[in-house]
Amino acid sequence: MAINPKKPTTSASLSIKNSDILRIYGKKSDPEVWEAFDYGDELAFNYLYRIYVPVLFRYGTQLTRDEAVVQDCIQNIFISLRSKRGTLTKVNCIKAYLFKIMNREVLKKLSKYKKLEFKDTNDLEGSFLIEVSSESKMIESECSIEIKEKLETALNQLTSKQRLAILLLYQEGLSYKQIAEVFDFNEVKTARKLVYRALNSMRNILKDKNQ
Amino acid sequence: MKYEDFDIDDFLKDEFFIHWVKNRDEDTVHFWEKWIQQHPERKHIVFTAADIIKSIHYKEKISISDRLYLETFENILQAENNPVNKPHKKTWWSIFQIRNVAAVFLITVLMWLSWDMIFVPQQTEELNLQPIEWVTKIVPGGKKSIVTLSDGTKIFMNSNSELSYPKTFSDSSRTVAIKGEAFFEVQKEDRPFIVSSKGLKINVLGTSFNVKDSEDGKVAVALMSGKVRINDNSGNQVNLLPNEMLVIKENGPFIKTGFDSLEVLGWKNKYLIFKKENFYSVKKKLENWYGVEIEIKGAVNPRWTYSGVYHDEMLENILKGMSHTSGISYTIKNKKVIISNIE
Repeated sequence: MAINPKKPTTSASLSIKNSDILRIYGKKSDPEVWEAFDYGDELAFNYLYRIYVPVLFRYGTQLTRDEAVVQDCIQNIFISLRSKRGTLTKVNCIKAYLFKIMNREVLKKLSKYKKLEFKDTNDLEGSFLIEVSSESKMIESECSIEIKEKLETALNQLTSKQRLAILLLYQEGLSYKQIAEVFDFNEVKTARKLVYRALNSMRNILKDKNQ
Repeated sequence: MKYEDFDIDDFLKDEFFIHWVKNRDEDTVHFWEKWIQQHPERKHIVFTAADIIKSIHYKEKISISDRLYLETFENILQAENNPVNKPHKKTWWSIFQIRNVAAVFLITVLMWLSWDMIFVPQQTEELNLQPIEWVTKIVPGGKKSIVTLSDGTKIFMNSNSELSYPKTFSDSSRTVAIKGEAFFEVQKEDRPFIVSSKGLKINVLGTSFNVKDSEDGKVAVALMSGKVRINDNSGNQVNLLPNEMLVIKENGPFIKTGFDSLEVLGWKNKYLIFKKENFYSVKKKLENWYGVEIEIKGAVNPRWTYSGVYHDEMLENILKGMSHTSGISYTIKNKKVIISNIE
Protein backbone atom coordinates (compact mmCIF):
# COMPACT_ATOMS: atom_id res chain seq x y z
CA MET A 1 0.00 0.00 0.00
CA ALA A 2 1.62 3.16 -1.09
CA ILE A 3 0.71 6.27 0.76
CA ASN A 4 -0.10 9.43 -1.08
CA PRO A 5 0.96 12.31 1.10
CA LYS A 6 -1.74 14.54 -0.24
CA LYS A 7 -3.56 17.25 1.59
CA PRO A 8 -7.08 16.29 2.50
CA THR A 9 -9.19 17.55 -0.29
CA THR A 10 -12.86 17.81 -1.01
CA SER A 11 -12.34 16.95 -4.63
CA ALA A 12 -12.15 13.33 -3.50
CA SER A 13 -15.89 13.26 -3.74
CA LEU A 14 -15.76 14.09 -7.40
CA SER A 15 -13.98 10.96 -8.52
CA ILE A 16 -16.99 8.80 -7.74
CA LYS A 17 -20.25 9.13 -9.59
CA ASN A 18 -23.19 10.72 -7.81
CA SER A 19 -25.41 7.71 -8.16
CA ASP A 20 -22.64 5.60 -6.64
CA ILE A 21 -22.63 7.62 -3.45
CA LEU A 22 -26.31 7.03 -2.86
CA ARG A 23 -25.95 3.37 -3.78
CA ILE A 24 -22.93 2.73 -1.57
CA TYR A 25 -23.98 4.69 1.49
CA GLY A 26 -27.69 4.02 1.13
CA LYS A 27 -27.00 0.39 2.00
CA LYS A 28 -25.14 1.25 5.19
CA SER A 29 -26.69 1.61 8.59
CA ASP A 30 -26.84 5.04 10.23
CA PRO A 31 -24.02 4.29 12.71
CA GLU A 32 -21.78 3.13 9.85
CA VAL A 33 -22.38 6.24 7.76
CA TRP A 34 -21.85 8.41 10.80
CA GLU A 35 -18.61 6.67 11.68
CA ALA A 36 -17.33 7.11 8.13
CA PHE A 37 -18.18 10.81 8.35
CA ASP A 38 -16.40 11.00 11.70
CA TYR A 39 -13.35 9.44 10.09
CA GLY A 40 -13.23 12.25 7.57
CA ASP A 41 -14.84 10.46 4.64
CA GLU A 42 -15.90 13.25 2.29
CA LEU A 43 -18.24 10.95 0.42
CA ALA A 44 -20.08 10.25 3.64
CA PHE A 45 -20.42 13.98 4.19
CA ASN A 46 -21.69 14.37 0.67
CA TYR A 47 -24.25 11.66 1.30
CA LEU A 48 -25.37 13.19 4.60
CA TYR A 49 -25.78 16.56 2.93
CA ARG A 50 -27.91 15.21 0.08
CA ILE A 51 -30.19 13.14 2.21
CA TYR A 52 -30.58 15.28 5.28
CA VAL A 53 -30.41 18.92 4.19
CA PRO A 54 -33.79 18.83 2.42
CA VAL A 55 -35.26 16.96 5.41
CA LEU A 56 -33.75 19.42 7.88
CA PHE A 57 -34.97 22.38 5.89
CA ARG A 58 -38.52 21.08 5.83
CA TYR A 59 -38.27 20.40 9.55
CA GLY A 60 -36.65 23.74 10.37
CA THR A 61 -39.31 25.71 8.54
CA GLN A 62 -41.87 24.17 10.93
CA LEU A 63 -40.00 25.79 13.81
CA THR A 64 -39.79 29.19 12.18
CA ARG A 65 -40.95 30.55 8.87
CA ASP A 66 -37.82 32.60 8.52
CA GLU A 67 -35.98 30.65 5.82
CA ALA A 68 -32.79 32.63 6.34
CA VAL A 69 -32.67 31.54 9.97
CA VAL A 70 -33.19 27.93 8.95
CA GLN A 71 -30.45 28.12 6.35
CA ASP A 72 -28.10 29.70 8.87
CA CYS A 73 -28.78 26.97 11.39
CA ILE A 74 -28.23 24.15 8.88
CA GLN A 75 -24.98 25.78 7.87
CA ASN A 76 -23.76 26.11 11.46
CA ILE A 77 -24.69 22.55 12.29
CA PHE A 78 -22.65 21.11 9.43
CA ILE A 79 -19.71 23.44 9.94
CA SER A 80 -19.57 22.48 13.57
CA LEU A 81 -19.95 18.74 12.88
CA ARG A 82 -17.20 18.87 10.27
CA SER A 83 -14.84 20.66 12.61
CA LYS A 84 -15.43 18.02 15.27
CA ARG A 85 -14.70 15.08 12.99
CA GLY A 86 -12.54 12.51 14.74
CA THR A 87 -14.25 13.13 18.05
CA LEU A 88 -17.94 12.77 17.20
CA THR A 89 -20.12 10.62 19.42
CA LYS A 90 -21.90 7.56 18.06
CA VAL A 91 -25.26 8.17 16.47
CA ASN A 92 -27.93 5.51 16.08
CA CYS A 93 -30.44 7.53 14.10
CA ILE A 94 -29.00 10.40 12.12
CA LYS A 95 -32.36 12.04 11.45
CA ALA A 96 -33.36 12.12 15.14
CA TYR A 97 -29.94 13.39 16.13
CA LEU A 98 -30.01 16.17 13.55
CA PHE A 99 -33.54 17.19 14.56
CA LYS A 100 -32.38 17.46 18.16
CA ILE A 101 -29.51 19.78 17.34
CA MET A 102 -31.70 21.68 14.88
CA ASN A 103 -34.18 22.42 17.70
CA ARG A 104 -31.36 23.70 19.86
CA GLU A 105 -29.81 25.77 17.10
CA VAL A 106 -33.07 27.42 16.00
CA LEU A 107 -34.13 28.22 19.57
CA LYS A 108 -30.71 29.73 20.26
CA LYS A 109 -30.74 31.78 17.10
CA LEU A 110 -34.27 33.07 17.57
CA SER A 111 -33.61 33.95 21.21
CA LYS A 112 -30.67 36.04 20.16
CA TYR A 113 -32.47 37.55 17.22
CA LYS A 114 -35.68 38.50 18.98
CA LYS A 115 -34.09 39.20 22.36
CA LEU A 116 -36.54 36.81 23.98
CA GLU A 117 -35.88 33.52 25.61
CA PHE A 118 -37.19 30.51 23.74
CA LYS A 119 -36.66 27.41 25.82
CA ASP A 120 -38.54 24.79 23.89
CA THR A 121 -40.78 24.47 20.89
CA ASN A 122 -43.85 25.35 23.00
CA ASP A 123 -42.48 28.89 23.09
CA LEU A 124 -42.68 29.11 19.33
CA GLU A 125 -46.15 30.16 18.38
CA GLY A 126 -47.69 28.33 15.49
CA SER A 127 -44.88 25.85 15.17
CA PHE A 128 -45.61 22.34 13.91
CA LEU A 129 -49.13 22.91 12.66
CA ILE A 130 -50.83 19.79 11.42
CA GLU A 131 -52.92 19.09 8.37
CA VAL A 132 -55.12 16.01 8.17
CA SER A 133 -55.86 15.18 4.58
CA SER A 134 -54.91 12.51 2.15
CA GLU A 135 -54.35 12.89 -1.53
CA SER A 136 -55.98 9.64 -2.39
CA LYS A 137 -59.03 8.14 -0.80
CA MET A 138 -58.57 4.75 0.76
CA ILE A 139 -61.53 2.66 -0.24
CA GLU A 140 -61.64 0.54 2.88
CA SER A 141 -61.25 3.48 5.23
CA GLU A 142 -64.18 4.74 7.24
CA CYS A 143 -62.57 8.05 7.94
CA SER A 144 -64.61 10.72 6.16
CA ILE A 145 -63.48 14.20 5.21
CA GLU A 146 -65.60 15.63 8.03
CA ILE A 147 -63.85 13.47 10.59
CA LYS A 148 -60.48 14.49 9.22
CA GLU A 149 -61.42 18.14 9.60
CA LYS A 150 -62.43 17.50 13.18
CA LEU A 151 -59.19 15.68 13.83
CA GLU A 152 -57.22 18.54 12.35
CA THR A 153 -58.92 21.11 14.57
CA ALA A 154 -58.38 18.95 17.64
CA LEU A 155 -54.73 18.29 16.87
CA ASN A 156 -53.97 21.95 16.30
CA GLN A 157 -55.31 22.76 19.75
CA LEU A 158 -52.62 20.63 21.34
CA THR A 159 -49.36 22.09 22.55
CA SER A 160 -46.64 22.48 19.98
CA LYS A 161 -44.61 19.78 21.68
CA GLN A 162 -47.46 17.28 21.42
CA ARG A 163 -47.98 18.15 17.78
CA LEU A 164 -44.29 17.68 17.14
CA ALA A 165 -44.42 14.24 18.75
CA ILE A 166 -47.33 13.24 16.49
CA LEU A 167 -45.60 14.58 13.39
CA LEU A 168 -42.36 12.80 14.24
CA LEU A 169 -44.30 9.57 14.55
CA TYR A 170 -46.48 9.85 11.44
CA GLN A 171 -44.83 12.34 9.12
CA GLU A 172 -41.18 11.55 9.77
CA GLY A 173 -41.73 7.90 10.63
CA LEU A 174 -39.58 7.92 13.77
CA SER A 175 -39.85 5.29 16.50
CA TYR A 176 -40.60 6.16 20.13
CA LYS A 177 -36.95 5.71 20.93
CA GLN A 178 -35.96 8.16 18.22
CA ILE A 179 -38.64 10.61 19.33
CA ALA A 180 -37.16 10.49 22.83
CA GLU A 181 -33.81 11.38 21.27
CA VAL A 182 -35.26 14.42 19.49
CA PHE A 183 -36.73 15.69 22.75
CA ASP A 184 -33.62 14.75 24.69
CA PHE A 185 -35.67 12.54 27.03
CA ASN A 186 -33.71 10.01 29.04
CA GLU A 187 -36.47 7.45 28.82
CA VAL A 188 -38.48 6.16 25.90
CA LYS A 189 -41.42 5.97 28.28
CA THR A 190 -41.61 9.75 28.40
CA ALA A 191 -41.94 9.91 24.62
CA ARG A 192 -44.68 7.30 24.66
CA LYS A 193 -46.61 9.23 27.29
CA LEU A 194 -46.33 12.42 25.27
CA VAL A 195 -47.72 10.71 22.18
CA TYR A 196 -50.45 8.82 24.04
CA ARG A 197 -51.72 11.97 25.68
CA ALA A 198 -51.80 13.75 22.35
CA LEU A 199 -53.69 10.87 20.78
CA ASN A 200 -56.39 11.03 23.46
CA SER A 201 -57.89 14.04 21.74
CA MET A 202 -58.28 11.97 18.60
CA ARG A 203 -59.78 9.02 20.41
CA ASN A 204 -62.91 10.86 21.45
CA ILE A 205 -63.58 12.04 17.93
CA LEU A 206 -63.10 8.53 16.56
CA LYS A 207 -65.33 7.06 19.29
CA ASP A 208 -68.12 9.48 18.42
CA LYS A 209 -67.96 8.33 14.88
CA ASN A 210 -68.56 4.74 15.88
CA GLN A 211 -71.62 5.50 17.90
CA MET B 1 -53.29 -7.31 24.15
CA LYS B 2 -53.27 -8.97 20.73
CA TYR B 3 -53.74 -7.23 17.42
CA GLU B 4 -57.16 -8.82 17.01
CA ASP B 5 -58.34 -6.94 20.12
CA PHE B 6 -56.93 -3.62 18.91
CA ASP B 7 -59.13 -0.62 18.40
CA ILE B 8 -58.24 2.22 16.02
CA ASP B 9 -56.35 4.19 18.64
CA ASP B 10 -54.35 1.12 19.64
CA PHE B 11 -53.20 0.75 16.07
CA LEU B 12 -52.39 4.46 15.98
CA LYS B 13 -49.93 3.92 18.85
CA ASP B 14 -48.33 0.74 17.57
CA GLU B 15 -44.82 1.17 16.21
CA PHE B 16 -44.84 -2.00 14.13
CA PHE B 17 -48.13 -1.00 12.53
CA ILE B 18 -46.98 2.56 11.83
CA HIS B 19 -43.80 1.19 10.33
CA TRP B 20 -45.83 -0.85 7.88
CA VAL B 21 -47.96 2.11 6.86
CA LYS B 22 -44.94 4.40 6.43
CA ASN B 23 -42.28 2.15 4.99
CA ARG B 24 -43.86 -1.00 3.62
CA ASP B 25 -40.70 -3.04 3.81
CA GLU B 26 -40.60 -6.78 3.31
CA ASP B 27 -41.00 -7.84 6.93
CA THR B 28 -43.98 -5.67 7.73
CA VAL B 29 -45.77 -6.19 4.43
CA HIS B 30 -45.50 -9.93 4.79
CA PHE B 31 -46.95 -9.85 8.29
CA TRP B 32 -49.78 -7.40 7.77
CA GLU B 33 -51.00 -8.81 4.46
CA LYS B 34 -51.27 -12.20 6.09
CA TRP B 35 -52.89 -10.74 9.17
CA ILE B 36 -55.59 -8.92 7.21
CA GLN B 37 -56.35 -12.10 5.27
CA GLN B 38 -56.79 -13.93 8.56
CA HIS B 39 -58.97 -11.22 10.13
CA PRO B 40 -61.25 -9.88 7.38
CA GLU B 41 -63.66 -8.51 10.00
CA ARG B 42 -60.92 -6.15 11.30
CA LYS B 43 -60.08 -4.85 7.84
CA HIS B 44 -61.97 -1.57 8.20
CA ILE B 45 -60.32 -0.71 11.48
CA VAL B 46 -56.89 -1.43 10.05
CA PHE B 47 -57.47 0.65 6.95
CA THR B 48 -59.05 3.53 8.85
CA ALA B 49 -56.04 3.68 11.16
CA ALA B 50 -53.68 3.49 8.17
CA ASP B 51 -55.63 6.26 6.46
CA ILE B 52 -55.31 8.54 9.48
CA ILE B 53 -51.57 7.90 9.79
CA LYS B 54 -51.07 8.66 6.11
CA SER B 55 -53.21 11.81 6.31
CA ILE B 56 -51.22 13.55 9.02
CA HIS B 57 -48.74 16.05 7.59
CA TYR B 58 -47.00 19.29 8.22
CA LYS B 59 -49.52 22.00 7.41
CA GLU B 60 -47.02 23.82 5.27
CA LYS B 61 -44.29 21.90 3.56
CA ILE B 62 -41.53 24.16 2.41
CA SER B 63 -38.86 22.61 0.22
CA ILE B 64 -35.38 23.99 0.01
CA SER B 65 -34.78 25.84 -3.25
CA ASP B 66 -31.91 24.76 -5.48
CA ARG B 67 -30.28 28.11 -4.92
CA LEU B 68 -30.30 27.77 -1.11
CA TYR B 69 -29.21 24.16 -1.33
CA LEU B 70 -26.10 24.99 -3.34
CA GLU B 71 -25.34 28.20 -1.47
CA THR B 72 -25.44 26.39 1.88
CA PHE B 73 -23.10 23.68 0.59
CA GLU B 74 -20.59 26.24 -0.58
CA ASN B 75 -20.77 28.16 2.67
CA ILE B 76 -20.06 25.03 4.67
CA LEU B 77 -16.98 24.16 2.64
CA GLN B 78 -15.77 27.72 2.57
CA ALA B 79 -15.97 28.06 6.34
CA GLU B 80 -13.11 25.58 6.50
CA ASN B 81 -10.82 27.58 4.28
CA ASN B 82 -11.67 30.69 6.19
CA PRO B 83 -10.92 29.96 9.85
CA VAL B 84 -12.44 33.25 11.00
CA ASN B 85 -15.89 31.85 10.45
CA LYS B 86 -14.99 28.61 12.10
CA PRO B 87 -16.75 28.00 15.40
CA HIS B 88 -13.92 27.87 17.94
CA LYS B 89 -11.09 25.69 16.79
CA LYS B 90 -10.17 22.85 19.06
CA THR B 91 -6.89 22.56 20.85
CA TRP B 92 -5.23 19.19 20.64
CA TRP B 93 -6.03 18.50 24.26
CA SER B 94 -9.72 18.66 23.65
CA ILE B 95 -9.36 15.92 21.09
CA PHE B 96 -9.04 13.35 23.85
CA GLN B 97 -12.30 11.64 23.89
CA ILE B 98 -10.94 8.87 25.96
CA ARG B 99 -8.80 10.59 28.49
CA ASN B 100 -6.70 7.57 29.22
CA VAL B 101 -5.57 7.24 25.68
CA ALA B 102 -2.38 9.14 25.42
CA ALA B 103 -1.85 8.83 21.72
CA VAL B 104 -3.48 7.32 18.68
CA PHE B 105 -1.25 6.93 15.69
CA LEU B 106 -0.51 4.83 12.69
CA ILE B 107 2.86 3.62 11.55
CA THR B 108 3.67 1.90 8.33
CA VAL B 109 7.06 0.54 7.56
CA LEU B 110 7.89 -1.42 4.47
CA MET B 111 11.65 -1.81 4.64
CA TRP B 112 12.21 -5.22 6.05
CA LEU B 113 15.97 -5.13 5.82
CA SER B 114 16.37 -2.57 8.49
CA TRP B 115 14.47 -4.65 10.99
CA ASP B 116 17.58 -5.75 12.83
CA MET B 117 18.85 -2.23 13.14
CA ILE B 118 15.88 -1.30 15.23
CA PHE B 119 16.70 -3.62 18.04
CA VAL B 120 20.35 -2.81 18.41
CA PRO B 121 19.97 0.43 20.31
CA GLN B 122 17.27 -1.02 22.52
CA GLN B 123 19.42 -3.89 23.59
CA THR B 124 22.14 -1.58 24.78
CA GLU B 125 19.60 0.45 26.66
CA GLU B 126 18.25 -2.52 28.54
CA LEU B 127 21.71 -3.93 29.21
CA ASN B 128 21.60 -3.76 32.99
CA LEU B 129 18.22 -5.31 33.24
CA GLN B 130 17.15 -8.89 33.25
CA PRO B 131 16.77 -10.44 29.84
CA ILE B 132 13.49 -9.39 28.40
CA GLU B 133 11.22 -11.93 26.86
CA TRP B 134 9.97 -10.67 23.52
CA VAL B 135 6.78 -11.75 21.88
CA THR B 136 6.30 -11.46 18.14
CA LYS B 137 2.90 -11.32 16.53
CA ILE B 138 2.79 -11.93 12.79
CA VAL B 139 -0.31 -11.09 10.76
CA PRO B 140 -0.27 -12.69 7.28
CA GLY B 141 -1.88 -11.34 4.10
CA GLY B 142 -5.66 -11.35 4.12
CA LYS B 143 -5.86 -11.05 7.89
CA LYS B 144 -6.08 -8.22 10.39
CA SER B 145 -5.56 -8.37 14.10
CA ILE B 146 -5.90 -6.40 17.31
CA VAL B 147 -3.31 -6.78 20.06
CA THR B 148 -3.88 -5.45 23.57
CA LEU B 149 -0.68 -4.99 25.55
CA SER B 150 -0.30 -5.45 29.29
CA ASP B 151 -0.62 -1.70 29.88
CA GLY B 152 -3.94 -1.54 28.02
CA THR B 153 -2.53 -0.09 24.81
CA LYS B 154 -4.43 -1.32 21.77
CA ILE B 155 -2.72 -1.99 18.47
CA PHE B 156 -4.66 -2.65 15.27
CA MET B 157 -2.46 -4.56 12.84
CA ASN B 158 -2.99 -4.54 9.09
CA SER B 159 -2.27 -7.48 6.77
CA ASN B 160 1.36 -8.51 6.33
CA SER B 161 2.58 -6.85 9.50
CA GLU B 162 4.75 -7.88 12.39
CA LEU B 163 4.76 -6.55 15.93
CA SER B 164 7.34 -7.30 18.62
CA TYR B 165 6.85 -6.37 22.24
CA PRO B 166 8.18 -7.46 25.62
CA LYS B 167 5.98 -9.85 27.57
CA THR B 168 6.11 -7.37 30.42
CA PHE B 169 7.28 -3.81 30.09
CA SER B 170 10.25 -2.52 32.09
CA ASP B 171 9.69 0.01 34.85
CA SER B 172 11.18 2.83 32.88
CA SER B 173 9.65 2.59 29.41
CA ARG B 174 7.33 0.78 27.05
CA THR B 175 9.00 -0.09 23.78
CA VAL B 176 7.56 -2.01 20.84
CA ALA B 177 8.67 -2.53 17.24
CA ILE B 178 6.52 -2.65 14.14
CA LYS B 179 6.99 -3.81 10.56
CA GLY B 180 4.23 -3.10 8.08
CA GLU B 181 1.22 -1.05 9.13
CA ALA B 182 -0.45 -0.54 12.48
CA PHE B 183 -2.73 1.85 14.28
CA PHE B 184 -1.89 2.60 17.91
CA GLU B 185 -4.15 3.68 20.73
CA VAL B 186 -1.66 4.25 23.48
CA GLN B 187 -2.78 4.07 27.10
CA LYS B 188 -1.72 7.18 28.96
CA GLU B 189 0.67 6.70 31.85
CA ASP B 190 4.02 7.88 33.22
CA ARG B 191 6.29 5.50 31.34
CA PRO B 192 7.00 6.80 27.85
CA PHE B 193 5.70 4.70 24.96
CA ILE B 194 8.19 4.24 22.14
CA VAL B 195 7.57 2.65 18.75
CA SER B 196 10.54 1.58 16.67
CA SER B 197 10.00 1.49 12.98
CA LYS B 198 12.74 1.14 10.42
CA GLY B 199 15.40 3.01 12.30
CA LEU B 200 12.98 5.63 13.55
CA LYS B 201 11.86 6.11 17.08
CA ILE B 202 8.40 7.45 17.68
CA ASN B 203 7.94 8.85 21.15
CA VAL B 204 4.38 9.09 22.27
CA LEU B 205 3.64 12.18 24.21
CA GLY B 206 -0.07 11.64 24.39
CA THR B 207 -1.56 10.61 21.08
CA SER B 208 -3.28 8.44 18.50
CA PHE B 209 -1.55 7.79 15.20
CA ASN B 210 -1.00 5.53 12.20
CA VAL B 211 2.36 4.32 10.99
CA LYS B 212 3.13 2.77 7.65
CA ASP B 213 6.34 1.84 5.90
CA SER B 214 6.29 1.21 2.21
CA GLU B 215 8.43 -0.93 -0.02
CA ASP B 216 9.99 2.08 -1.60
CA GLY B 217 11.65 2.66 1.73
CA LYS B 218 9.28 5.22 3.12
CA VAL B 219 7.84 5.39 6.59
CA ALA B 220 4.69 7.37 7.21
CA VAL B 221 3.40 8.37 10.62
CA ALA B 222 -0.08 9.85 10.74
CA LEU B 223 -1.34 11.41 13.94
CA MET B 224 -5.01 11.42 14.90
CA SER B 225 -4.87 12.99 18.32
CA GLY B 226 -2.30 13.86 20.95
CA LYS B 227 1.33 14.45 20.20
CA VAL B 228 4.27 12.39 19.01
CA ARG B 229 7.96 13.11 18.59
CA ILE B 230 9.95 11.27 15.94
CA ASN B 231 13.71 10.79 16.03
CA ASP B 232 15.81 9.24 13.30
CA ASN B 233 19.25 7.66 13.53
CA SER B 234 21.05 10.83 12.55
CA GLY B 235 19.66 12.76 15.47
CA ASN B 236 16.95 14.63 13.62
CA GLN B 237 13.80 15.26 15.56
CA VAL B 238 10.34 16.40 14.61
CA ASN B 239 7.06 16.86 16.49
CA LEU B 240 3.71 16.01 14.99
CA LEU B 241 0.36 17.56 15.77
CA PRO B 242 -3.06 16.00 15.12
CA ASN B 243 -4.02 15.58 11.46
CA GLU B 244 -0.40 15.88 10.43
CA MET B 245 1.47 13.13 8.68
CA LEU B 246 5.19 12.71 8.45
CA VAL B 247 6.70 10.85 5.50
CA ILE B 248 10.32 9.89 5.76
CA LYS B 249 12.48 8.32 3.11
CA GLU B 250 15.37 6.40 4.57
CA ASN B 251 18.10 8.88 5.39
CA GLY B 252 16.08 11.40 3.46
CA PRO B 253 14.31 14.57 4.47
CA PHE B 254 11.28 14.69 6.73
CA ILE B 255 8.18 15.78 4.86
CA LYS B 256 5.16 16.95 6.82
CA THR B 257 1.75 16.92 5.15
CA GLY B 258 -1.90 16.66 5.98
CA PHE B 259 -3.78 13.46 5.22
CA ASP B 260 -7.19 12.17 4.29
CA SER B 261 -8.11 10.19 7.36
CA LEU B 262 -10.38 7.75 5.57
CA GLU B 263 -7.69 6.98 3.04
CA VAL B 264 -4.99 6.50 5.65
CA LEU B 265 -6.94 5.01 8.56
CA GLY B 266 -9.86 3.39 6.74
CA TRP B 267 -8.31 -0.09 6.77
CA LYS B 268 -8.74 -0.25 10.53
CA ASN B 269 -12.50 0.01 10.12
CA LYS B 270 -12.53 -2.34 7.16
CA TYR B 271 -12.67 0.29 4.46
CA LEU B 272 -10.81 -0.61 1.31
CA ILE B 273 -10.31 2.50 -0.78
CA PHE B 274 -9.09 3.11 -4.29
CA LYS B 275 -8.54 6.65 -5.38
CA LYS B 276 -7.83 6.91 -9.09
CA GLU B 277 -5.25 4.19 -8.70
CA ASN B 278 -3.35 2.44 -11.45
CA PHE B 279 -3.63 -1.28 -11.88
CA TYR B 280 -0.47 -2.20 -10.02
CA SER B 281 -1.52 -0.27 -6.96
CA VAL B 282 -4.98 -1.87 -7.02
CA LYS B 283 -3.39 -5.31 -7.47
CA LYS B 284 -1.13 -4.86 -4.48
CA LYS B 285 -3.92 -3.64 -2.23
CA LEU B 286 -6.16 -6.56 -3.18
CA GLU B 287 -3.37 -9.10 -2.66
CA ASN B 288 -2.63 -7.66 0.74
CA TRP B 289 -6.23 -7.28 1.83
CA TYR B 290 -7.49 -10.71 0.77
CA GLY B 291 -4.25 -12.69 0.95
CA VAL B 292 -4.52 -13.80 -2.67
CA GLU B 293 -2.11 -13.91 -5.57
CA ILE B 294 -3.12 -11.99 -8.67
CA GLU B 295 -1.85 -12.98 -12.09
CA ILE B 296 -2.08 -10.56 -14.98
CA LYS B 297 -2.92 -11.87 -18.43
CA GLY B 298 -2.14 -9.72 -21.39
CA ALA B 299 -1.03 -6.12 -21.47
CA VAL B 300 -1.89 -3.50 -18.88
CA ASN B 301 -3.00 -0.13 -20.11
CA PRO B 302 -0.91 2.36 -18.11
CA ARG B 303 -3.82 4.82 -18.20
CA TRP B 304 -6.21 2.37 -16.50
CA THR B 305 -7.34 3.75 -13.14
CA TYR B 306 -9.94 2.74 -10.61
CA SER B 307 -11.79 4.49 -7.81
CA GLY B 308 -14.06 2.97 -5.21
CA VAL B 309 -14.87 2.75 -1.54
CA TYR B 310 -15.65 -0.68 -0.13
CA HIS B 311 -16.70 -1.50 3.38
CA ASP B 312 -16.20 -5.06 4.52
CA GLU B 313 -16.79 -6.36 1.02
CA MET B 314 -16.08 -9.76 -0.55
CA LEU B 315 -13.30 -9.97 -3.14
CA GLU B 316 -15.73 -11.37 -5.69
CA ASN B 317 -17.99 -8.32 -5.37
CA ILE B 318 -15.13 -5.90 -5.85
CA LEU B 319 -13.95 -7.72 -8.96
CA LYS B 320 -17.52 -7.82 -10.26
CA GLY B 321 -17.79 -4.06 -9.77
CA MET B 322 -14.48 -3.56 -11.55
CA SER B 323 -15.55 -5.70 -14.48
CA HIS B 324 -18.77 -3.69 -14.86
CA THR B 325 -17.19 -0.26 -14.72
CA SER B 326 -13.81 -0.82 -16.28
CA GLY B 327 -14.27 -3.91 -18.40
CA ILE B 328 -11.72 -6.25 -16.85
CA SER B 329 -12.28 -10.02 -16.90
CA TYR B 330 -11.37 -12.23 -13.98
CA THR B 331 -11.43 -15.74 -12.63
CA ILE B 332 -10.94 -16.76 -9.00
CA LYS B 333 -9.54 -20.17 -8.14
CA ASN B 334 -8.88 -20.68 -4.45
CA LYS B 335 -6.22 -18.16 -3.53
CA LYS B 336 -5.38 -17.31 -7.11
CA VAL B 337 -6.98 -14.64 -9.23
CA ILE B 338 -6.38 -14.16 -12.92
CA ILE B 339 -7.22 -10.76 -14.38
CA SER B 340 -7.21 -9.85 -18.05
CA ASN B 341 -8.49 -7.10 -20.34
CA ILE B 342 -6.96 -4.27 -18.35
CA GLU B 343 -7.61 -1.56 -20.87
